[in-house]
Amino acid sequence: MNFFTVDILTPSKIVAKSIPAESLIVSTSRGQINILPEHTHLVSQLDTGAVTIFGGADDPDRSFTVTKGVCRVLEKKVVILTEVSEEDKMINLERAKMALENAEKRLKSDNLSQDERIKFRRKAERATLRIQIYNEAKKA
Amino acid sequence: MAGVKDLKKKIKVTKSTFKITSAMKLVSAAKLSRAQHAISSSRPYNNELETTIRTVSALVQNYNHSYLTSKENDESNKKYGLLLVVSSDKGLCGSFNSQLAKEVRKFLKRSELEYKVFFIGKKVKELIEKEVNTGKHYKFSKGVPSFNDVKNISEELALMFDGGEVSEVNVAYNEFKSAILFFPKVKKVLPMSMSLTQKEELKSKFPFDFKYEPSPKEILDTLIPEAYYSSVYTCVLDATAAEHGSRMNAMDSASKNCKEAIKTLTIKMNKIRQAAITTELIEVVSGAESLNS
Repeated sequence: MNFFTVDILTPSKIVAKSIPAESLIVSTSRGQINILPEHTHLVSQLDTGAVTIFGGADDPDRSFTVTKGVCRVLEKKVVILTEVSEEDKMINLERAKMALENAEKRLKSDNLSQDERIKFRRKAERATLRIQIYNEAKKA
Repeated sequence: MAGVKDLKKKIKVTKSTFKITSAMKLVSAAKLSRAQHAISSSRPYNNELETTIRTVSALVQNYNHSYLTSKENDESNKKYGLLLVVSSDKGLCGSFNSQLAKEVRKFLKRSELEYKVFFIGKKVKELIEKEVNTGKHYKFSKGVPSFNDVKNISEELALMFDGGEVSEVNVAYNEFKSAILFFPKVKKVLPMSMSLTQKEELKSKFPFDFKYEPSPKEILDTLIPEAYYSSVYTCVLDATAAEHGSRMNAMDSASKNCKEAIKTLTIKMNKIRQAAITTELIEVVSGAESLNS
C-alpha cells in the first residue's frame, strides 16, 4: 500500500510524529477534505475541527482535535501546524464540559467586547469539538 | 580556645551554604531538563512553519505583508527602534545577566537608531535602567511565560511596529547551546527578512507548484504573524534554558568551593586544637616533673 506519514506539531509540543497513514481527513476553512496517497502538493488553512488518520490494515486509526492552523502536503509527508492539538485518548471530558459551560455563560452576558466575544465563541467551539471527538472515540 | 570556636562556627555556616547550593543545583538541573524538553518540542514546529512560509512566499509573486517590509518613520520624527531584553528574575546564575547587559550596551552603542528598551525579567533591567530609555517591564504570574503570554507581548510590540511607532523590533536574549554554554545575542524579529538568493534557491528546490486553499495571500496573512510569535517564543525558551543551565553551573562551582573551604577550615581547626592539646600536655608533664624533682 502506498503510505504517507503525518506530523502534527504545536509550538509547545510534538503531538504526533511520522504516523503512517493510508488516508487522512482534515477540516479546512472551506470544508473537510480527504487526503490520499499521491495527493497533489497542497497548502491549506485549517479550521477548528477533527483530524482523522486512517492507518489502514497494519496501523490503528487515530483522531485528533486541531484548532486553527495550516496543513502542508508534500510528496509522502503531511505536516499539520496548529496552535493546540489533542489526541482523543487524552481529552479530559469533565474539563471540556466545564469549559463549554463557562464559555456559554460568558457569551450570554451582554457586556462583552467584540474581541472577547470572538474569544469565547472559539472557546465554546473547541470545547464542543472535544466533547464530540471524545464521544466518537468511546463509541468506536 | 577562641580560635577553635570561631572556626567551628565558620565550618557550620559553610556546611549549610553547601547544602543550599547543592540543592539549588539539583533544582536547576531538573528545571533545565524541562526547559530543554520544551525547546526540543517547539523546534520542529518552528522549522516546519518557516519552511512552509518560505515555500509559499517564494512561489507567490508580488506578495507583501506589513511584517516583511521595513518601516520608515516620518522624517520629522526621531527614529526609534525597540529592544526586548529577556533576562531572569532571580540572580545566582553566574554571568548570565551581566553578559547579556554587556551585549545590550554594545548593541545600543553600535546602532544608529534610538532604542526603547522593554524587559522580561528584572535583573538586566536593574543593571541598565539608568543608561537606557526604559519602556515596559513584563511580569508573569507563573514565573515562566507560556506561549500565550509571549503571544500577547508580541502582539503588543507588533502593533507598535505596524503603527510606525518603531521601525524595528529586536530581542536580546541568551542563546542556549548546551548546559554549560550560552551566547548573549540580539535577534531582529521585525521586519522579517528573506533574501533574494534564498528565494531562488527554494524555487529550484520546489519546481512544482502547490495548490493553495484559500489563496496563498490569505494563508501567508495568517502564517506570518504565527511565525513571528513563535520566533519570539523560541527566544524566551532559549533564555529560560540558558538561565537554568547557567545557574546549575554556578551552583556546581559554588558547591565545589564550599567543599574546599570546609576541608581547609577543618584542617586548620584540627591543627589549632592539636597544638592546644600538645601545650596542655607539656604543661601537665612539666608540672609533674617539677613536683618529682
